[in-house]
Amino acid sequence: MANALRRVMIAEVPTIAIDLVEIEVNSSVLNDEFIAHRLGLIPLTSERAMSMRFSRDCDACDGDGQCEFCSVEFHLRAKCMTDQTLDVTSKDLYSSDHTVVPVDFTESAGYDSPEQRGIIIVKLRRGQELRLRAIARKGIGKDHAKWSPAATVTFMYEPEIYINEDMMETLTLEEKMNLVESSPTKVFDIDPNTQQVVVVDPEAYTYDDEVLKKVEAMGKPGLIEIHAKEDSFIFTVESTGAIKASQLLLNAIEVLKQKLDAVRLSEDTVEADDQFGELGAHMRGG
Amino acid sequence: MGDRLYPFECRQAKISYTGTFLMNVFFQWDGGASVREKFNFGQFPIMLKSKRCYLRNADPKKLVSYKEESPEMGGYFILNGLERVARNLILPKRNYPMSVVRNSFHDRREGYTDNAVVIRCVREDQSSVTVKLYYLRNGSARVGFWIQGREYLLPVGIVLKALIDTNDHEIYLKLTCCYNEKYEKGKGAVATQLVGERAKIILDEVNHLSLFTQEQCLQHIGEHFQPIMDGMESESYSVVADAVLRGYIFVHLDDNNDKFNLLIFMVQKLYSLIDQTSVPDNLDSLQNQEILLPGHIITIYLKEKLEDWLRKSKRLLEDEINNTKKQFDFFSVQDVKKVMDKNPSKQISLSVENMLKTGRLITQTGLDLQQRAGYTVQAERLNYLRFISFFRAVHRGASFAGLRTTSVRKLLPESWGFLCPVHTPDGEPCGLLNHMTRTCRVTSYYDSEGNIRDFFKIRMSILNVLVGVGMITSLPKVDHAGPPEVLLVLLDGRVVGSLPSLEVEKVVAYLRRLKVSSASVIPDDLEVGYVPLSFGGAYPGLYLFTSPSRFIRPVRNISIPPGSERNIELVGPFEQVFMEIRCPDGGDGGRSTTFPATHEEIDPTGMLSVVANLTPWSDHNQSPRNMYQCQMAKQTMAFSSQAIHSRADQKLYHLQTPQTPIVRTKTYTKYCMDEYPSGTNAIVAVLAYTGYDMEDAMILNKSSVERGMCRGQIYQTETIDLTDEGSKFERGQRIFKRDHLDKSSHSFIDSDGLPYVGQVLGPNEPYCSTINQVTNSKRIYKRKGSETVMVDYVAVDVKNNKDIQKVNIRFRHPRNPIIGDKFSSRHGQKGVCSQLWPDIDMPFSGVTGMRPDLIINPHAFPSRMTIAMLLESVAAKGGSLHGKFVDATPFSNTIKVDNGETVTGSESLVDELGSMLRARGFNYHGTEVLYSGVYGTELTCEIFIGPVYYQRLRHMVSDKFQVRSTGQVDQITRQPIKGRKRGGGIRFGEMERDAMLAHGAAYLLHDRLHTCSDHHIADVCSLCGSILTTSLIQTQKRAVREIGGLPPARAPKKVTCHACKTSKGMETVAMPYVFRYLAAELAAMNIKMTLQLSSGAGA
Repeated sequence: MANALRRVMIAEVPTIAIDLVEIEVNSSVLNDEFIAHRLGLIPLTSERAMSMRFSRDCDACDGDGQCEFCSVEFHLRAKCMTDQTLDVTSKDLYSSDHTVVPVDFTESAGYDSPEQRGIIIVKLRRGQELRLRAIARKGIGKDHAKWSPAATVTFMYEPEIYINEDMMETLTLEEKMNLVESSPTKVFDIDPNTQQVVVVDPEAYTYDDEVLKKVEAMGKPGLIEIHAKEDSFIFTVESTGAIKASQLLLNAIEVLKQKLDAVRLSEDTVEADDQFGELGAHMRGG
Repeated sequence: MGDRLYPFECRQAKISYTGTFLMNVFFQWDGGASVREKFNFGQFPIMLKSKRCYLRNADPKKLVSYKEESPEMGGYFILNGLERVARNLILPKRNYPMSVVRNSFHDRREGYTDNAVVIRCVREDQSSVTVKLYYLRNGSARVGFWIQGREYLLPVGIVLKALIDTNDHEIYLKLTCCYNEKYEKGKGAVATQLVGERAKIILDEVNHLSLFTQEQCLQHIGEHFQPIMDGMESESYSVVADAVLRGYIFVHLDDNNDKFNLLIFMVQKLYSLIDQTSVPDNLDSLQNQEILLPGHIITIYLKEKLEDWLRKSKRLLEDEINNTKKQFDFFSVQDVKKVMDKNPSKQISLSVENMLKTGRLITQTGLDLQQRAGYTVQAERLNYLRFISFFRAVHRGASFAGLRTTSVRKLLPESWGFLCPVHTPDGEPCGLLNHMTRTCRVTSYYDSEGNIRDFFKIRMSILNVLVGVGMITSLPKVDHAGPPEVLLVLLDGRVVGSLPSLEVEKVVAYLRRLKVSSASVIPDDLEVGYVPLSFGGAYPGLYLFTSPSRFIRPVRNISIPPGSERNIELVGPFEQVFMEIRCPDGGDGGRSTTFPATHEEIDPTGMLSVVANLTPWSDHNQSPRNMYQCQMAKQTMAFSSQAIHSRADQKLYHLQTPQTPIVRTKTYTKYCMDEYPSGTNAIVAVLAYTGYDMEDAMILNKSSVERGMCRGQIYQTETIDLTDEGSKFERGQRIFKRDHLDKSSHSFIDSDGLPYVGQVLGPNEPYCSTINQVTNSKRIYKRKGSETVMVDYVAVDVKNNKDIQKVNIRFRHPRNPIIGDKFSSRHGQKGVCSQLWPDIDMPFSGVTGMRPDLIINPHAFPSRMTIAMLLESVAAKGGSLHGKFVDATPFSNTIKVDNGETVTGSESLVDELGSMLRARGFNYHGTEVLYSGVYGTELTCEIFIGPVYYQRLRHMVSDKFQVRSTGQVDQITRQPIKGRKRGGGIRFGEMERDAMLAHGAAYLLHDRLHTCSDHHIADVCSLCGSILTTSLIQTQKRAVREIGGLPPARAPKKVTCHACKTSKGMETVAMPYVFRYLAAELAAMNIKMTLQLSSGAGA
């Protein structure tokens, strides 16, 4: 279940990304495909994505992806007129829809230098020009990584760490220090007052068993025991900026729900066999 | 810019980068006044960045304005738009007599043995003549030299006598001076008492021919050589003999006394070889080798061509003058020019250009070189490493490639420090094509400041120094003792004197000190080849060389007090063998105190080539893996050129988003490899996942590829030259233009007949159109192949101001990684992409959530032992966590720093790297807990994961896949054609057939070899058994009333046999078409083939 959520977050929560680029003029050093690819990878604010339509099943435009329900149009015009190199960035992309714009990292990252102007697309020297029209569409990360709203998603089972205090008492301070040091992450520490080993941050534990190995090596098995809680996960979600991480989680649950609904609805229909193959048959059978 | 022709224009226009070659020619007749005339010798190829090149002294900014790369280094020629380099070839060391034992000497003539002393004499103008001194069974010797492709042999006594005015007694004393009873069998004695008897034989030989004086000997030589010497028909014998001696014997020396002394020396060396008081020199070792430089090969080739031209001119003029019928005024420039027109001077440059274009020498004399072809190669710009390797490569010579023996390919200790032991290809050219080490250089006509050297002055200054330290100069009449008492001193193949053997070592040390400290007195690259006295070792002596084209490399001279700032000495392979050079680890290298080290290596990585130097921690790898990496680095698809926009290469591989490696050697930074990066730092997980990573396959992360990892493209240029194609009178009529009527091509071709830049073109779509203005016929060029390409650039040649006749169209083939593409790390670990695996199904790290870009199988490591790859992974992980590059210079822990400790000390490399990881909360060993991407469960093992620099190799499936169901067939055999380009099939050969037979798969076999190949149903006449005499008879169309609605009934096929005149007994038989062809071929040779047919199983 936790992994399903992770997978959905990475690959199936829809976002908006530039999908079609029409280049009018490109005299820059980068070739057309390269620029198109770079444009596609720019994260666009995609709060609207959940309510948008996929252009392939859009009724309004017969799926050619040119209507307001399924697409957003962008324009980019840049020409370098000075001797200084001109950076063409995501800020130069003009959107036809104010809700779908390139993600602005300047505030959140705390850069206040005027130089920081968004994601660089290409650099132009004197006389070079870039003029293009781009269409952004809704899509999912499964189709192309540019539609993936999550940079990294990971989860861990919440660890429960037991310290056998009686056995711990038998250790010298130095041994305790060694024990604390044995974990590469800061899970344990020594209380400066009582000189007892305490768990400061169980979430920092990476299940790398280093401490357990150390305990084993010290000849004190059972000194520390670590169990994973089966019903509690800690999710770490890093978003690309297209959707807020918190929203991403909610969207993912929504998508997952829809998927489950689809399964339930077609549970005993004949299409289930076509749609889900063996899985459908299995569900009906068991 | 004016009408200057710049290199980039030559590349684009597919022409040669040349300059006009003018020469002043003087004519003189019968001692009269000379006529001087300037002649145009045509367009001579110019090497880029040479003195005559426009790019000379251009700074990077200027180079860019000339549309070159800013780090352009030149050194190659542009011929027909292609970049060609002259190959560095190994030649025998010049001006040094070498003892050689070779079986082929035996067969020269009756009485010859397999021993000889050979010297390759090189003139100041670099042309060379090899002189051999053969030993005869009777104790005498013969001087052998080549004139115009034939070897001539002279008794050594005649040559000795002809060289200077001397007598038998003097020659005898000279020859035997090196023998002294006192030292016999002692250390360093080279002569035995047999020398005296042999000297007598030599003298007797001459006396038998009743040649006693110099004059008589010259007469004798002149008489025999007059027919061979060109243009000497009317000269006296002694003049001819003089010319022979000057032009063919010891040509590096001008003075006959020097030649005499050298010949004496060679005879002594030969006798020492026979008496086994010295060993033969190994011609395969670098000690006795030098290099053929591009400038030298061009010089000697040009010299020969000019000599030919002059000779022909002379003959033409003489004919004209002697022809009294015509009025010919020698002093009239007009008349002379008219005659000279018959001998076109422009051919000279053209022949040099052709030599560089094809790498083939067209010469009668052979120029004293071993091979005729392979002097130049095309410098491919696949990537920068490949490109520079062409300039650092040293080839042993084409004649050795065919040799069955492997001794020439051996890695000999003499090449230490000069040739890289790692960087040689495996397979056919292994050991023959070597690469110079990073520090190795070659001496040339220019000194380190770039000034032309005056070798005469240098030699005089060296002589002065030698005399100053007590050398007794050799005069022809003064006889001196030989080794071991004194050692002869040879300076560039000239016996200049002798030094007492006890003094020599001091002199050598003194010379070395002067070499380092005062380069104006003793050149800093002087080779002080001191061969010490030994018991039957190499022939002793002090051999000094100032000549160009020797290998040199820097080492630190530690006998010079450490206070002085200059202690770097340049040493050559000849002297290195007898020097004591220790490693820079501070130890003595197991040397005994009697031979203390005098020199020290500067850096251990100096023994590797530039390419081998880039492998991180190559000292932790199994050595063949480093060799493979050198190969693969040169096949990598990388950032090929910084001036792609102005290039017109046939094919150019380019990586879209290269990265700089996190783990790199010091040399990487030193040689600015970041100008041409060649790979990607990919996160590599080492685990067996999904099974798609078996047998060196690797799984790429689909999302990584979609985000741009390892993307690239191929730039391919089509040149359309209208002046080149078509018949003669059609030339100039065709222009680039679009057909106005044919609207279908208008979306691809602009009104100028050329494609739109940026246009996407599918297979078979038109990209260019031309129209013949006279006949109005048009021609449309269509894309070949099965790929969709983009038009990248269109360049037109507007030099001739009229209609455009030449066009370059550059296409871009996208090459994104797909299944079947080849990748490799920097440790000889290549693999093929087997799957583009979805990101979500990749294993992920529980802590960071990171998914690997690439998965390789752990089985790639145990047998290959590429530990450095594991180290690289750990180091790169630590480096990226700390935000810094990691130094991975090999052998860095063996360098002694000043305080006497090694750099890393007791702490091992792994400890250092591991603690870096630990400091950032990662596992010490570089492993991480990964979770299955599919199930979300923890993987049972901790997985080794980290960034490794991966190269994308140029072998890609899109260029290689071959598939066919039906298609073109061969005209004659009707079998499928071969060749990927033409859509042919892959041969189902004999071995495949055997495999099918072994399986008993008869039906499949029949399908492959017959049905899918040249299946044919032949009509056979069962009466005469012929398949050739049958023919189809056109039945007269009977007027059959057509029945409405039904198709007309097919007339039954009627076949008759011409021989039997009947259509009875006609049968149809299925057979391969080649069988019918065989019958026809046999019939052409009057052999009849008959078939006996029987039906069914009864056969």
